[in-house]
Amino acid sequence: MIEFHPTDDSLARLAAGTLEAGPTIVVRTHVDGCERCRNAVGRLEAVGGALLNAIEPVAMQADAYALLEARLDRPAPATKAVAPARAVPANGPIELPAALEGLEIGRWRWLAPGVRRSRVTIPGAPDADLVMYRIGPNRRLPHHGHAGSEYTQVLSGSFFDETGHYRPGDLVEADGDVDHQPRVGPEGECICLAAVEGRMLPNGFFGRMMRPFV
Amino acid sequence: MTALSAPAMIAMMRPVATASRKVHHATFWSGAGPDRLRRLPGKRLVTGRDELAAPTAAELSHLVLRVARSDRQAFEQLFRHFAPRVKAYILRGGAEPGLAEEVAQETLLAVWRKASGFDPAKAGAATWIFTIARNLRIDRARRKGPPPTLGEDPSQQAEAPPPADEVIAAAERDDRVRRLVETLPAEQAEVLRLSFFAEEPQTEIAALLGIPLGTVKSRVRLAMARLRTALEDLER
Ligand SMILES: [Zn+2]
Repeated sequence: MIEFHPTDDSLARLAAGTLEAGPTIVVRTHVDGCERCRNAVGRLEAVGGALLNAIEPVAMQADAYALLEARLDRPAPATKAVAPARAVPANGPIELPAALEGLEIGRWRWLAPGVRRSRVTIPGAPDADLVMYRIGPNRRLPHHGHAGSEYTQVLSGSFFDETGHYRPGDLVEADGDVDHQPRVGPEGECICLAAVEGRMLPNGFFGRMMRPFV
Repeated sequence: MTALSAPAMIAMMRPVATASRKVHHATFWSGAGPDRLRRLPGKRLVTGRDELAAPTAAELSHLVLRVARSDRQAFEQLFRHFAPRVKAYILRGGAEPGLAEEVAQETLLAVWRKASGFDPAKAGAATWIFTIARNLRIDRARRKGPPPTLGEDPSQQAEAPPPADEVIAAAERDDRVRRLVETLPAEQAEVLRLSFFAEEPQTEIAALLGIPLGTVKSRVRLAMARLRTALEDLER
């Protein structure tokens, strides 16, 4: 039973296509597994359709249709086979969400005791800040210390803080100014997918990941 | 307008009469379609000029279904309706006219190629075409590489032909959402348009409302929560 969902604003930005690349993947992962949010996004896309229908049209070039009609008979280019999500990260016994298909998934790397991280790279948005964490029981999630909102989707295991207990399928959206450092539940390790708005800091990334862990 | 106060937002979601518009019931597009597509008594807006009235969502869905059977006449009608709108949409995102023209062409080409996957029970035609244009817009904004998975087009999981009443339901939703959007007070409609069309929605909304960027987020969040309620009500 999914209990925590993206905000309406984030769902609207997903539907509008204005959510950043990293958060788009995290929110899409949630939406793919959540009927409530799928329906909400469908309605919001209908708003996009209505706005498109109502927009003041801008005339196409005079020969636009003729140009396009000439292309109709050409075969569609073979769709590039989407690279199967480059395998499951070593030692990461989870099924990867469909939203990660075609993305480059890095190896699990040690980040702190009981905490490993795998970078996920989005083609076309290489500086998007998107990672998977694999965190041992009772450990704290790393804190991003970042101005933008942070989106975290639980893939397996669970974590909790004063506001709730987050289980697989739940998405936590936290403002950057909130000192939000949830702890993994005692029952086992937790794997989650997290993105922060804004770009990765080229040099400071590792440093700011190294805020104290427990 | 100073801010999206809660009462204003409630007003935003309450449909108001569009008394200034004349409505009649002329048939828009004459092409015959599958029997299961009952014709809805759509309301059509009439302008002063001798201009084609707005097609209903059912008529648009019907055109895409004809395009799925390689009907070029239907495709040309869809092109004439949507290409200038997609161009306008891309321009609103800050693109150069040449790029906007190109994205409009690519969008309509995708409509031609993907029409057989269009599932009119899942989404209306305008909604479907919006998602195609949106994905191409993201793709172009990132310049290289495929866009991240934005979910399949709402039509892509079609299995069997949907029952007629489902087709109508999805198209009707498009019509209802369109009426909801059409009846918004101008300023609030502009906020909604910016949310969907602008390159930097929050910055532009802040400028429009004259409030700090930091305040915009919670305001838009509130607006979207109310919009969600209004959309859910449409389906009851
Ligand atoms: Zn949800």
